[in-house]
Amino acid sequence: MDFCCIKSKQTVEMKKNIWILFVVISLSAFTAKAQTDKKLEEKVTELNDVVNGINERLATSEADLSKLTKIKVSGYIQAQYQNYENLNTQPTNFFSIRRARVKFTYEAADGVKFVLQPDFAPGSLSLKDAYVVVNDHWSKTFSLWAGKFNRPNYEVEYSSSQRELAERSLVIRTLYPGERAIGAKLEYNPLSVPFHAQLALINGNDGLTINNSAGANLNATDNKDFDNYKDIMARVTYNLRLGNFGGLDFGAHGYFGSLKSMALKTLSSDYSTIKDAKIGDAIKRNWVGGEFQLFADVLGGMSVKGEYIAGKNASIGYTPVAASGTTAAVPGVANFQNNFSGYYLYFIKNLGKRNQFAFRYDYYDPNTDIKGKDVTITKYTSADATTLKNRVSGKSDLATSTFGFALHHYFDDNIRISLNYDIVNNEKVGTTAGVSNLMENYTKADGSVVKNGLDYSKNVNNNMLTLRIQAKF
Amino acid sequence: MKTLNIKKTAVIAILLGVIGFAFTAAPDRITVKGSDTMVILAQKWAEVYMKSNPSTAVQVTGGGSGVGISALINGATDIANASRKMKQTEKDKLKARYNTLGVEVACAKDGITIYLHPSNKVKELTIEQLGKIFRGEIKNWKEVGGADADIKLYGRENSSGTYVFFQENVVKGDYASTCQTLPGTAAVVNAVKKDANGIGYGGAAYAEGIEICKVKQNANSPAYLASAETIAKNQYPISRYLYMYLRNKPTGAMKKYIDWILSPEGQKLVVEMGYFPVK
Repeated sequence: MDFCCIKSKQTVEMKKNIWILFVVISLSAFTAKAQTDKKLEEKVTELNDVVNGINERLATSEADLSKLTKIKVSGYIQAQYQNYENLNTQPTNFFSIRRARVKFTYEAADGVKFVLQPDFAPGSLSLKDAYVVVNDHWSKTFSLWAGKFNRPNYEVEYSSSQRELAERSLVIRTLYPGERAIGAKLEYNPLSVPFHAQLALINGNDGLTINNSAGANLNATDNKDFDNYKDIMARVTYNLRLGNFGGLDFGAHGYFGSLKSMALKTLSSDYSTIKDAKIGDAIKRNWVGGEFQLFADVLGGMSVKGEYIAGKNASIGYTPVAASGTTAAVPGVANFQNNFSGYYLYFIKNLGKRNQFAFRYDYYDPNTDIKGKDVTITKYTSADATTLKNRVSGKSDLATSTFGFALHHYFDDNIRISLNYDIVNNEKVGTTAGVSNLMENYTKADGSVVKNGLDYSKNVNNNMLTLRIQAKF
Repeated sequence: MKTLNIKKTAVIAILLGVIGFAFTAAPDRITVKGSDTMVILAQKWAEVYMKSNPSTAVQVTGGGSGVGISALINGATDIANASRKMKQTEKDKLKARYNTLGVEVACAKDGITIYLHPSNKVKELTIEQLGKIFRGEIKNWKEVGGADADIKLYGRENSSGTYVFFQENVVKGDYASTCQTLPGTAAVVNAVKKDANGIGYGGAAYAEGIEICKVKQNANSPAYLASAETIAKNQYPISRYLYMYLRNKPTGAMKKYIDWILSPEGQKLVVEMGYFPVK
C-alpha cells in the first residue's frame, strides 16, 4: 500500500515535473521564437535600410552617369613613314607623328554643343577646334557656330581620318592653311529638303604669313584678327538621289575677303600693272568654286569627286624703312595680287569590305597670268629701287600637278593602314641660249652643295611615298 | 632608276589590288545586327529561312538601331535592322567609308505601344499628354484621370531606334531625367508589370500580360489600339516602318534572303510575331 502510495505520489510528482518542464521548454521556445522573430524583423529592417541606401546611391550614380554621357571623347593618331624623292629634302626618309588629336564634345542641353579639339603632335601643342554650336529649337533648321572651326569647303570639312589621300589637294592647302578659321557661322539644314547652306564671317588671317621688312610675321598669333576687315565665306550644297544607282551631291562655295595693305603699291599677277595703295586699304581676296561628289552603287561602291576653284588671292608687302645711323635703308615691297585656278578629281573604289583604292589628280596654278616660259623673264622694275624692290616672277608662279595613288586596308573598326604614293610634276620654265631660266642649288646628305642641281626647265622630282597607320577611337 | 622602280611597284600593287578585290562575291553567311524591337522577328526569319536554305547561315543579334547602323558603317554587319530611318550624319559616314548611300528596305510595320500596369485606371492618353508625361511636365496620374500617385517612367537607351522615334514623334524634347532607361523592350514590359504606377513604350509584339493604353491624336479624336487594321488605315497615331539597311544593292544569297522576307511567306511571319506587314 505504502509502496503504491509512494509510487502514485512519485507518478504525480513526475507528471508535475514533466508539465513544469514542458511549460519551461515552451516558454523558452516561445521566448526564443519571439527573440528570433524580433531579430528577423530587425534584420529585415536593416536590410531594407541597406537596399534603400543602395537605391539612393544608385539614383545619384545614374544622375552622375547621365551627365557623363553628355561628354563624348573621340580622337585619332596617325603615325607614318615617309620617303621623299626630292633632292633638297634631308633626311629623305623618316618616321613622324602626323596627328595626335583628342576631341571632346559636350552636349550641354538639347541643341547646344561644345567642341574642343587639341592636337598633341610631338614638339607642338595646338588648338584645332574650339567652338560652340546652338541649334534653333523652333524650326530645327538653323544652327549658329562660334569659335574656331573648319572653313566651309568640301575637302576642308572632310576629316583627315576619312580622307582617301594622305594630304588635301594643293589648291585647298594653299587657300585654307590650317583648315580652321576663327569667327561665326550660320548653317541652314532644312528637314524636308536635302539642301544645305553655310554662311561664315571670319577673321580671314588664320594661317597666313604677313612679314614686315625685318622678316617678322605680323600675324604670328592667330588668336585674333590682324585687321578690321572681316571675310565672308558661303557654301551651298544639294544632295540628289539617283534611284538605285546612287547619288549626286553638288554645290558651290565662295570666299570674299580682304587684307589690310601695309604697302603703298599693289602689284598685279602679270608683274607689269602696279597701282597706288594706302596703308590700311583693303586688298581683295575673292574666289569661287564649284564641287560635285558622285556616289555609285557599282561593284561594291565607288565615287568620283571633284572641285574647281578660281579667283584672286593676295599677299601683303611692307613700307620702306629709311636709313638711320649706321642702319641702311630697306626698300619696301608692294602688295601682290595673283589670279589663280586649281582643281582636283578623285576616283575611289571599295575593294571588298576591308580594302579601298583611291586615285586623285590635282592641279594648282598660283598665277594664271604667267606661263612657265615667262617665269624669271617677266618682272616689275621699280622706278626707284631704293624705295620699292623689283619683283621677278619665279618658282612660286609655277603650276603643280599631282597624281596620287592610295591603298587602304581597314584592319578593324578602329585601325586603317594606308599606302600613298604621289607623283608630283611642275610647270616647266623656258631656257635662254640652252640654259634653264630657273635653277636652284640643293644640299646633299653629307652637307655638300650641288650648284644648280635643280633644273625647273625639266621636272624636279618631288614624288613622295607615305605609309601610314591610323588608330581612331 | 630607283624612282622608276617605286613607281612601277606602286602601280602594279594598285592594279593587282583592283583586280583581286573588285569582284569579291557575296558570302553565304549573313550577319544581321540592330534594333531590339525587331530582334525576335529577325530571329524568327533567320530560323525559318535556314531550315529551307541550309547552305545560308544567318546570324542575328540586337543591340539597338544605332548600334546596328554603326556596325553597318564599320563593315561589322551585312544588314542593320532599324526601327527608325538612318540619320543624315550616319548616311554621310556610310558615304565616306563605302562610297554608297545605302539601301533601305522597309520590311514590316509596328505600332509603338504604351504599356501600363493592369491596375491603372487610365485607359487612354493623347499624344500631347504622353509628351508631357515623358518630358516630366505631368508628374502625377491624377492629372490625366488616374489615381493620386507619382508617375514612374520606363524607356529605352539612346542607342535604340524606338527611343529616337518616340522622342521625335511624341516627346518632342528631352526625356525627363527620372525616366529609367532599360536595355530592351522586354525589360520595359517587365518593369511596368511590377510597378502599379509605371508607364513605358515599345514594340507591339512585346505587349504580353500587360495593359495597353489607347492613344488619341488629340483630345477630340477617337482613341485607338495598335492593330493591323488601325495601322493599315493610318488611324493609330504612333505607327512606323521597320527597316533593314544594307551597304549595297543585294546580290546572291543576300538578295535571295531579302526577297524571301518581303514574300508572302516572310510577311506571314511578321503577323505571327505580332508585327504588321508592309503589304
